[in-house]
Amino acid sequence: MANFSIATVFVASISLLLALTHSFSLENPTDRRILVLVDDLALKSSHSIFFNSLQARGFELDFKLSDDPKIALQRYGQHLYDGLILFSPTTERFGGSLDVAAILDFVDSGKDLIVAADANASDLIRNIAAECGIDFDEDQSAVVIDHGSYAVSETEGDHTLIAAADFIQSDVLLGSTKIEAPVLFKGIGHSLNPANSLVLKVLSASPSAYSANPKSKLSSPPSLSGSSISLVSVVQARNNARIVFSGSLDLFSNKFFKSPVQKAGSSNKYAKSGNQQFATEISKWVFHERGHLKAVNVRHHRVGETDEPSIYRINDDLEYLVEIYEWSGSSWEPYVANDVQVQFYMMSPYVLKTMSSNNKGLYIASFKVPDVYGVFQFKVEYQRLGYTSLSLAKQIPVRPFRHNEYERFIPTAFPYYGASFSTMAAFFIFSFVYLYSK
Amino acid sequence: MGRSPTTKDDAQALFQSLRSAYAATPTNLKIIDLYVVFAVFTAVIQVVYMAVVGSFPFNSFLSGVLSCVGTAVLAVCLRIQVNKENKEFKYLPPERAFADFVLCNLVLHLVIMNFLG
Repeated sequence: MANFSIATVFVASISLLLALTHSFSLENPTDRRILVLVDDLALKSSHSIFFNSLQARGFELDFKLSDDPKIALQRYGQHLYDGLILFSPTTERFGGSLDVAAILDFVDSGKDLIVAADANASDLIRNIAAECGIDFDEDQSAVVIDHGSYAVSETEGDHTLIAAADFIQSDVLLGSTKIEAPVLFKGIGHSLNPANSLVLKVLSASPSAYSANPKSKLSSPPSLSGSSISLVSVVQARNNARIVFSGSLDLFSNKFFKSPVQKAGSSNKYAKSGNQQFATEISKWVFHERGHLKAVNVRHHRVGETDEPSIYRINDDLEYLVEIYEWSGSSWEPYVANDVQVQFYMMSPYVLKTMSSNNKGLYIASFKVPDVYGVFQFKVEYQRLGYTSLSLAKQIPVRPFRHNEYERFIPTAFPYYGASFSTMAAFFIFSFVYLYSK
Repeated sequence: MGRSPTTKDDAQALFQSLRSAYAATPTNLKIIDLYVVFAVFTAVIQVVYMAVVGSFPFNSFLSGVLSCVGTAVLAVCLRIQVNKENKEFKYLPPERAFADFVLCNLVLHLVIMNFLG
């Protein structure tokens, strides 16, 4: 009886554990538990629309002050969170065990990150950004100023509140609905490290923008100017961890979400800025509710067969099939594209073929094995802007013909056979004639 | 016009002298010559055929042509050895020469048969 009750408790605790760990997994790539670090808990109410939209989409937000001594991203080697939102631009030092290395380790293990900087951003935030290929303006007092496309307000102001509308053209990053209204931005600009190929500008400043201290006279040319200034950038690491950097914390605030916007020099007046749509869509992307692909059921066989052979022969006709699905936030939907290619690869691709799709996620390519034997690979390298990268490789050897697989009596060669046999016969006859002709 | 009859006559005279000289050749050498002509002719036919249909069963083509060429070469060697006027092989009996010829032909055709298919 005692044994029985121990077993029940054990089974119950296991199932409880399973229920608790419904976090990031291959089958369910959307993040669930998110740590939000803020400088001031007032931010919780001043940015409540953004946080509420996250909670409404099923995320568990854990708010902590950035100097809380109990902050920990992992315990006993297990990550406690799937995502991290750093809304603490002025923090010089995090509490607890959190530091730049811990945050980079968090990203290296495939977790996602949103960082919002602001005017007077701390060195800590700048260091995190620099590690991800994003260089905020080194001048601590500089902010983005735009006398060309600032947001019109009652007071003339210093044109640091800008209305940005230079979005990246990508449905997967910003959703399929076009963002009509400009996005209000007040903060610092950054440039992208050209050595980093993984970082992308999502929202860039207009050509008339520059980065300088608005209170002092501009004595030397600004270090950042024009549309090379990035206002919001994203990074997708090679392990598919996603990061968003914004130079403005106010971009996510209720005040900016609700405020009407009119771009200087334009008569279009929008009742509501594009901030809410922009922030919601970019958060959907960063937390893997969009653009997350998976490839399953990778298989190949000879044409007309269904079993997967362990080896192919040169000149075999084969079919390669793979199913690709995209995570929609709640379920896996078929991924529809016409640019998925498969390679038959040995040192270099011998065959490169665009796969045909049945629009239900199944991709097929059929081709002939080249007339070369060796150890080949089926490779699918699918890297598209905003989508997680697919990199499939499957090794397959290719052998030459067996000695009994060659054609034996070829009609074309009959004259050669005839010639060989006729010289043999001629030799025989010649021997007789030569020996008996005296 | 003035030269062409002379050229034609020359050619005819040359041909006549060749024929009369060849008529003096022993019969066994004439048989060998016929055999060589047959082999070379077969080889030429095969090369022309290959030029027409392409070189696909290249091994068959090679064995067909090389069997003819080999046959011709061996026959010419036999002719050199059994020719009475050739002082080099004065002490080699013609029976021995023919035995060598047969042995070499057997080896040649063995190789040809292996390479043909």
